[in-house]
Amino acid sequence: MKLLTHNLLSSHVRGVGTRGFPLRLQATEVRINPVEFNPEFVARMIPKVEWAALVQAADTLNLAEVPKEPTEGYEHDETFLRKMHHVLLEVDVLEGTLQCPESGRLFPISRGIPNMLLNDEETET
Amino acid sequence: MLRKVVLLRLCPLLGRPAVSASSGSRREVASGVPPSGSTSPRALNIFDRELKRKQKNWAARQPDPMKFDYLKEEVGSRIADRVYDIARDFPLALDIGCGRGYIAQHLDKETVGKIFQTDIAEHALKNSLETDIPTVNILADEEFLPFQENTFDLVVSSLSLHWVNDLPRALEQIHYVLKPDGVFVGAMFGGDTLYELRCSLQLAETEREGGFSPHISPFTAVNDLGHLLGRAGFNTLTVDTDEIQVNYPGMFELMEDLKGMGESNCSWNRKALLHRDTMLAAAAVYREMYRNEDGSIPATFQIYHMIGWKYHDSQARPAERGSATVSFGELAKLNDVMSHEKK
Repeated sequence: MKLLTHNLLSSHVRGVGTRGFPLRLQATEVRINPVEFNPEFVARMIPKVEWAALVQAADTLNLAEVPKEPTEGYEHDETFLRKMHHVLLEVDVLEGTLQCPESGRLFPISRGIPNMLLNDEETET
Repeated sequence: MLRKVVLLRLCPLLGRPAVSASSGSRREVASGVPPSGSTSPRALNIFDRELKRKQKNWAARQPDPMKFDYLKEEVGSRIADRVYDIARDFPLALDIGCGRGYIAQHLDKETVGKIFQTDIAEHALKNSLETDIPTVNILADEEFLPFQENTFDLVVSSLSLHWVNDLPRALEQIHYVLKPDGVFVGAMFGGDTLYELRCSLQLAETEREGGFSPHISPFTAVNDLGHLLGRAGFNTLTVDTDEIQVNYPGMFELMEDLKGMGESNCSWNRKALLHRDTMLAAAAVYREMYRNEDGSIPATFQIYHMIGWKYHDSQARPAERGSATVSFGELAKLNDVMSHEKK
């Protein structure tokens, strides 16, 4: 699971609504997977990313300092784009959990695949 | 809504014993009305989703899973073809009920930047096909998408929504996660899918057991689909029907392939056991009624294709009421022109 994925996932447990984001990340196994650098794609992802959630997740994983905000004119700042490419797309959480901030429900991450399936009591009716 | 049709079971021995209807009895299932005897408090609970997950996982773990992928490959490539018809690129895409990635393998990075693949079967996700574009795998249910509002530029789905209990809710979820001016391109099995198998099993079971029970899952009707998409909030709808006919040596080979596709019946009201005698009779009926000239038997898969857009100001809209410049009274002349062109 990449941090970009974490930035998009929210909990769907009954009664949570929009308070199911961002999930609290706990990682027990992390791997760095080199990914081909695509500056256009990273530049398009920057405005979409919920920045506070990204900073929080990066802190949890003890990654290098992530700026508090995107730098001005980031589209042309290759250093910044490469750093964000690394944080968003190359850091891969293989094992761990995601916790719903509202309900406390834990979603396991197994072999890099988050399991967001709910059981019957948790589904909204 | 989901249309109740006479249904016939495909594989008798899969999964745990079901809540079974007695021979000859049928249940009425209507949208919003809880079926009597339901084991779940949910309004619509036609399918045993846990069983479907097991079926899909079983299929994905077979030694040669590609052997049964031909139909999903074909429909996946048709959906990719429709995505290419849209002259734009999609940075973030979502594939709902992706299986082993039948759509993503046909897409390229010029069109899709990154695709998120969700399915309920973890083994299907773990055995994903190779793709040109970066993929992310997430275990998630079609009805409870774990994504925020306005996230994806494109949502695709191929041959998985027919197993969803609450289809209106699933479509609303898809609409919710799409960005404004985002598009949903989907395909699902239609009501005439496997009609030959359904009729054969029905006739054989009536003859041998004095009544019949559902063996093939209920499917959605095509006009219901348009209503559902509209109610979920989609714009500029297109729904059309395709048919794919596949020929098999016999009925048993067809049923084996359906199992290998993970498409065995998982309705709650399915019959747990299908007698061997009934199956043999059904195979004979199938051959007698439907066989091809070369001796093989055809199986029809009706595919509904749908495209819906999330509203955005820039989209084309209906003209103001009363702004017409040609009268409906002129339609008769239009018919003349049309019939003239046909000659």
